[in-house]
Amino acid sequence: MFQKILLAYDGSEGAEKALDAALELARVHQGKVWALAVEENLPHITATVGEFQESKEKANEKFGKLLHAARSRAEKAGVELKTLLRAGHPAKTIINVAREGEFDVILVGHSGLSGVWAAFLGTTAEKVSRHAPCSVLIVR
Amino acid sequence: MEQVWFTAASWIGVALMASLISIRTGISVALVEIFLGMIAGNFLGFHSAPWIDVLASFGSMMLTFLAGAEIDPASFRKHLKPSLVIGSVSFLFPFLGAWLFTYYVNGWDWQAAQIAGIALSTTSVAVVYAVMVETGLNETDVGKLILAACFVTDLGTVLALGVLFANFNRWMLVFVLATCLALWMLPRLSRWMFRTWGGRVSEPEVKFIFLVLCFLGALAVTANSEAVLPAYLFGLVVAGVLVQDKVLMRRMRTITFTLLTPFFFIKAGALISLPALAAGAALIALLLAVKIVSKVIGVWPLCRVFQMPLRESNYTTLLMSTGLTFGSISALYGLTRGIITQDQYSILVTVVIASAVVPTFIAQTWFEPQIVVPYEPEFYGTAEHLLHMPEEYQL
Repeated sequence: MFQKILLAYDGSEGAEKALDAALELARVHQGKVWALAVEENLPHITATVGEFQESKEKANEKFGKLLHAARSRAEKAGVELKTLLRAGHPAKTIINVAREGEFDVILVGHSGLSGVWAAFLGTTAEKVSRHAPCSVLIVR
Repeated sequence: MEQVWFTAASWIGVALMASLISIRTGISVALVEIFLGMIAGNFLGFHSAPWIDVLASFGSMMLTFLAGAEIDPASFRKHLKPSLVIGSVSFLFPFLGAWLFTYYVNGWDWQAAQIAGIALSTTSVAVVYAVMVETGLNETDVGKLILAACFVTDLGTVLALGVLFANFNRWMLVFVLATCLALWMLPRLSRWMFRTWGGRVSEPEVKFIFLVLCFLGALAVTANSEAVLPAYLFGLVVAGVLVQDKVLMRRMRTITFTLLTPFFFIKAGALISLPALAAGAALIALLLAVKIVSKVIGVWPLCRVFQMPLRESNYTTLLMSTGLTFGSISALYGLTRGIITQDQYSILVTVVIASAVVPTFIAQTWFEPQIVVPYEPEFYGTAEHLLHMPEEYQL
């Protein structure tokens, strides 16, 4: 049922739990997991291209390490995990990738935001669940 | 002397604060520096001093040099014709539009209106590049064409700035001849310099670049031209050499963004008059509209002529309506030369900043093309990762 699993992964506590759930889901359904890391907050309005490139490079380094670690964990669990690295708005990017790749399910970790902040800002998980083209599992 | 250090401490303090705010919010450090400079200038009595002027001018020169050095010569050669056409029109239409609008509608004097035209003719390559990375458009032929066209637009801006207000006397002849000779020799000379003397602790290659910039800048100013003109041209001709030396580029950026550009952007902000902004709010909106509409009239049909799909054409046109660095430099040039008043400067810089934000927002919200970034990047943590994404994986 869930052959193509998209995991939104940012290395946070919620994302780690979502990774565990994704690996388990892949085992049960004999599916493949794609871990997607989204680089948000890259400066858009910079004075030079190099300034943006350096910021991107640093973000690539950070998320590259995270994705590498996720892949190692998946290998140990005997599950194939592919990685994606994109820059952009997290919810929008996750939804676009899910649509393009025709994924069966998206796994998102719960952010831990609560109360006023969650009500005011909305969480990535909430936005993804509202607009995703497929099933969404929010992992707590 | 004590006074100098207090002044230095306060300006560097503002620059540090701008960095921290920029990191926290993800807003460009240049914009935060301008904003904090405006606060400091209007409420804390920040004003420039001769040594600040030197650092700020050097900062603007370095910014234009680095901007020129970021061109991809191979891509430019590949897209020569369309990029020359789109880039020239992208400069010419808003230049004429803003010039004529401020002259005939606002009653600015002839030269002040020309400064308005130059400041609003620009396209921010950095903004265009950053936005395109999100869609992966920078990796495609269309994206590379747009970027090449942006460099042509900026070349138009620095040429206009360097030529329109210059004295055409023997010093201009000396400046033109020396610049032509230098531009012809510099790629080879720079390659030799970097290869033979590069990588030393005393940084001879950085000093060499500074020497060329200062010497050509001095000749330009003597001819009543502008130092950013030779700086941009120097950057363009040595781009092919510098692209092979990423460490040198990083060092240059470190020096520039630590010590030079903060003084330029904070000064640019400190000279903005808040009362002038309040009085000129309608004019700011009108000038922004003039810039965007004239870019649309000029660039959009050409995008269609060069067979860009509709959505990409809309997106490209809006991205080419952005501006920041060259617009600020042009406005500050006008103010320091006494061509425009502080009120006019305040309005122009605000329109330039708005043009960095508004078209980007519209483009990303309503006209973003479908994502074309390939799947499964293999390399992490290097600049090559950004520029050379690996082959697409099958989903």
